[in-house]
Amino acid sequence: MIELESIEKTYLAGSVETRVLKGISFRIEGGEYVAIMGASGTGKSTLMHILGCLDKPTAGHYRLGGTDMVNLDDDALSHLRNGKIGFVFQQFHLLDRATALRNAMLPLIYADEYPADAHRRAETALTAVGLTDRMTYRPNQLSGGQQQRVAIARALITNPTLLLADEPTGNLDSKSGAEVMAIFQRLHRDGRTIIVVTHDRAVAEHADRVIVLKDGMIAEDQPVARPRDAEAEAIALAEKEVAQ
Amino acid sequence: MRILRIAKEGARALAANKLRTFLMMAGTIIGIAALTVIMAIGKGTEKNVMKRVMSFGTHAIMVAAGGGRGFSPPDANITTLKLDDADAIRDQIRGLEFVSPTAQKRAMPIKAGAAQTEATAIAVRADWFDAWEWYVRDGDPITDEDMAAMSRVCVLGATTARDLFGDQNPIGEDVQIGDVRFRVKGILHSRGTSPMGGDFDARVIIPLSTGLRRLFNQDHLFNIRIKVKDASQLVPIGEEIRRLLRERHHVTPPQEDDFAINTAAGVAKMARGISGTLTYLLAALAGLSLLVGGIVLMNILLISVGERTKEIGLRRALGATQGDIFRQFLLESLSVSIIGMAAGSLLGWAVSITLARVTQFPVVISWEPFALALGFALVVGVFFGVQPARRAARLKPVEALR
Repeated sequence: MIELESIEKTYLAGSVETRVLKGISFRIEGGEYVAIMGASGTGKSTLMHILGCLDKPTAGHYRLGGTDMVNLDDDALSHLRNGKIGFVFQQFHLLDRATALRNAMLPLIYADEYPADAHRRAETALTAVGLTDRMTYRPNQLSGGQQQRVAIARALITNPTLLLADEPTGNLDSKSGAEVMAIFQRLHRDGRTIIVVTHDRAVAEHADRVIVLKDGMIAEDQPVARPRDAEAEAIALAEKEVAQ
Repeated sequence: MRILRIAKEGARALAANKLRTFLMMAGTIIGIAALTVIMAIGKGTEKNVMKRVMSFGTHAIMVAAGGGRGFSPPDANITTLKLDDADAIRDQIRGLEFVSPTAQKRAMPIKAGAAQTEATAIAVRADWFDAWEWYVRDGDPITDEDMAAMSRVCVLGATTARDLFGDQNPIGEDVQIGDVRFRVKGILHSRGTSPMGGDFDARVIIPLSTGLRRLFNQDHLFNIRIKVKDASQLVPIGEEIRRLLRERHHVTPPQEDDFAINTAAGVAKMARGISGTLTYLLAALAGLSLLVGGIVLMNILLISVGERTKEIGLRRALGATQGDIFRQFLLESLSVSIIGMAAGSLLGWAVSITLARVTQFPVVISWEPFALALGFALVVGVFFGVQPARRAARLKPVEALR
């Protein structure tokens, strides 16, 4: 499904070579929920960019749903991102002037075929993340958690092979964070393949499997014995809020 | 279509930041408006010039009594231009169709019964009608017989006829010009007002011989209208006439001519005069303002690319190709310049019409400035849009999202 084989990435700064990724190999099956963990400077972001087909490795192979992206040109990579990857970013990256609905529809603009039911698909996606009554709101009229949920709806609209989230709770308070993680768990139960990149062990342990990066290499790749229940955490945090 | 969806994204970006969009347009609006107004004035001036040239006649040479440069009116006090001169021109210079000498006096009192008016009295030979291509509407023209017999007959201009006789038929009636009685034998077609604003139809035409001896009591002419057979010979024939008259009038350097020779080309040159030069200068300024407008457009677009780096990165992450980004920005630039052009054209059109109403300045609204403006808009939009669009397209998604 998703297969990384000896992925290396080297940056050249002047004449100084920096090896950020030093041979990363792993396989993620369809329907898995994986967290990639690591402190800053471990190559976590670089790996995220490669997984998202935003950047190419210096060496190695990366197969996503059967295609090796290493051989693709820029246009083909754009195409691959559009069709097979749904991004969720730490800073949400929504268009300020567009409504939730239009933000959710944005990837469809770059699709080969613009679906006739684009509007309904966006509505469905927004409903799935609990924003039925916020469809015509602009980002500045929404809370951080709601903005991130719009971003998740946007990521889902093309029905991608892989949902790739980069520190999705990084800009959220703990309750909104737990709500977002609960959505990921629900999507996982529905069969989505999800990779969450984070530095936070607590966030990572919502996944079924944690891959820990250290110094550009995999230090640990283990299943999580008992993943944390984000839904229960969200409810607990909400109750605490009411109590205060 | 993908390109339409991308164009829509561009349109939304323009609509989202109206001040920025307006600033991008401002230069184009002003430049195009200025160009439209200048072209309207230029065309108006040219139309005026052509009107004068046509009324002067494309094959005509006018020898007027009195010297001076340019297109000055003949000097009534100069008495050196004689009928002999006209005959000498006719006999000695080849390639002429008509040589029509006239003598005239402005503001001659003219009476018919109780009615009284003033008109320019013009004493002519029979060929005057052909020379000016101005014929009688009713009755008969002045003939060679009238000339030979020194008949006291006249042809009235339309205004003069109406002033004296109202709706009645003047033909066969008597009028008194100055102290002399004339019989009306014809009425001229109406020619309206001259480019200078005078009434062409307030006149009375009489035989040259009668005019010189009986009415004006003089032997000098007012002017000689000459028509050449071949318009391309206008200038050399004009020079020949000048040489002949200088010789006949004993004018030697450094003395100035005591006559003036004018042709259609001279009339056009005079009429265009400063306004023509000014039009070109202003057009150049308008072009310059368009150039500056284009540069401003490019600058704001470049700034906008910088401000929208994150948006570009996001679009790239979501699947936009470099081409998609390039096209969006180029379309934004093109839309700005085309809308600016449309607004500028409308503004220029409104200003031209207002100018025409308020100042009576000759203004011609035509399609050319609009076509030119559209051309300019496309060139400016593409030329100044390519660089920012390319910069936007080349942003690396990874860096743009940071």
